[in-house]
Amino acid sequence: MGIVDLDGLEVRLGGRTVLAGITGELQGHAIGLLGPNGAGKSTLINTLLGFHEPFKGTARVFGFDVRRERSRIRQQIGYMPENDSFIGNMSGVKFVRYMAELAGLPQEVALERAHEALFYVGLGEVRYRKISTYSLGMKQLIKLAQALAHGPRLLILDEPTNGLDPMARQRMIQVIKEIRKEGSIRLLISSHLLRDIDETCDEVLILKGGRIAALSNIEQERNSHRNFIELETVGATEQFTARIRALGCECAAYPGGRIKLVMPDKIAARDLYVIASELGVQIRRMNQRRDSLEDIFLRAMDSEIGRPEHVSV
Amino acid sequence: MSVYKHDYRAYTGEVTPLWTRVNVLARYAFSEAWSSKITVTLFTLSLAPIIVFLILIYVANNPIARALITRGNPQAFAIDAKFFLKVIEMQSWCALVVTAWIAPRLISFDLSDNALPILLSHPISRVGYISGKFIALFSSLSAITWFPCLLLFAYQGYSSAEHWTAANLPIAFGLLVGSLIWIAFLSLLGLALSSWVKWRVVATGVIFAAVFVPAGVGGIVTAIMRTKWGFLLNLPFIMSLLWQRLLGAPEFMRSGQSIPTTAIVIMLGLACLLCIAMLNARIRAREVVRG
Repeated sequence: MGIVDLDGLEVRLGGRTVLAGITGELQGHAIGLLGPNGAGKSTLINTLLGFHEPFKGTARVFGFDVRRERSRIRQQIGYMPENDSFIGNMSGVKFVRYMAELAGLPQEVALERAHEALFYVGLGEVRYRKISTYSLGMKQLIKLAQALAHGPRLLILDEPTNGLDPMARQRMIQVIKEIRKEGSIRLLISSHLLRDIDETCDEVLILKGGRIAALSNIEQERNSHRNFIELETVGATEQFTARIRALGCECAAYPGGRIKLVMPDKIAARDLYVIASELGVQIRRMNQRRDSLEDIFLRAMDSEIGRPEHVSV
Repeated sequence: MSVYKHDYRAYTGEVTPLWTRVNVLARYAFSEAWSSKITVTLFTLSLAPIIVFLILIYVANNPIARALITRGNPQAFAIDAKFFLKVIEMQSWCALVVTAWIAPRLISFDLSDNALPILLSHPISRVGYISGKFIALFSSLSAITWFPCLLLFAYQGYSSAEHWTAANLPIAFGLLVGSLIWIAFLSLLGLALSSWVKWRVVATGVIFAAVFVPAGVGGIVTAIMRTKWGFLLNLPFIMSLLWQRLLGAPEFMRSGQSIPTTAIVIMLGLACLLCIAMLNARIRAREVVRG
């Protein structure tokens, strides 16, 4: 059982199919939710939260069905919405306490944890100020604090770095990394920014037109191309190429001493330097290419409706 | 998580039962409503008539004071259904003023800062959310309507002859039921209208308008169409009729022009359903972040 199980989930809003029967199992510790505008990211989050009723199929969060066990799911979730969402007339600590009590914490515990959550996200000094006086970065952090205060098992962050300046963004990313590192909370992060997902997530779900375009473990995806190397050499390139082939590498030589090769796992980059040294070849540049999240995303966007019936990592 | 260590720790303690979450909403709504000095002032002013009625009951039950003031007119200070009709009418209109001030505070803050997606992402339903706000408003209005009315009734029962209370129990019943109907309707109306108006001051005006504008329209309909049914739009009128019947006070309308109680109840029921539909539509539209 994954954290989120999607089983032919179809969601229609205003007669339009927004999620078209998606099936998959999200298991990562920090799952990134990517996709262009209108791909269905927010709809998926809202469906998991029980705001939208599935038209067909279902979704389960920690094994709880989104149709029948909405309250139990919400009990397990901390949600940070994309847009401004708070009560501006309240002080930071009162707001976070209020949300923690709604999540089921007793009054005294809620107050204690509200203070702790605010210090944790870095709003300790301003916790008695009215939220309406907070800066945009602080408003993002107070949403994060309220989502954390009751100790959820799954934290859903919708565009957590939206509108933040570089410093505030860095701070937000840092907090997310710390939460992930702590280990008791699973994360589902929706973002337009590949960099944010790249820095914080280990699994990515890419949606396109209401369907799953890709669901992959980011680290595995990167590692699958870890032995693709580009070289720029000077000297006896042909001999060098022949020796590398003899080692078992697939390679192609290009004019100007450029060589592209895929190395088997048993061969290390050091072996290339040894051969070059023996042949008197200079290796001017060695580019070990890894798939970036951008490559994964672009590949997913290029592919047709992409994925098979059931996907899991 | 700890303040001095700045570390996160998961929560492993007890969780309150689901049904108590409505109380949390009600408690915070109550606190929000009463955080304003204007609310306290309005509440105090709303209780001023009760003091006057209390003095009147005292005078009515004190032979010396009555003799001095009434100068031989025993009907001047009769404590009967008519007297309590005045009490309930006065307190009910005070309740309207308090509603017009409090109701927008309960909803507008949540809507203006788009707090619903966060509030409703917790284990609380739309019905639970509205119930919490309703309880806060209803209990605030109770403190100036049926509760002081029944206290006055109890004081009259205590001050007068023994058989008075037993003989006039229908008045107490009328005070309770009449007030409950009115404040339940006011609470729904206040919340529904506040949810549709962004600015609190405007919402206050709209609540008054919703009571008095249809009354004017109803008057026009009655005059032009020469029909008594136009009075159904006149909320102050139909409520007065209802209170009269509940308390057993003499009716001020001629029998031919009177509105049946069933029609009044249906009208109030329809108005309540309309308010619930308005609330549902508004809350449903604002509970998710559209993106």
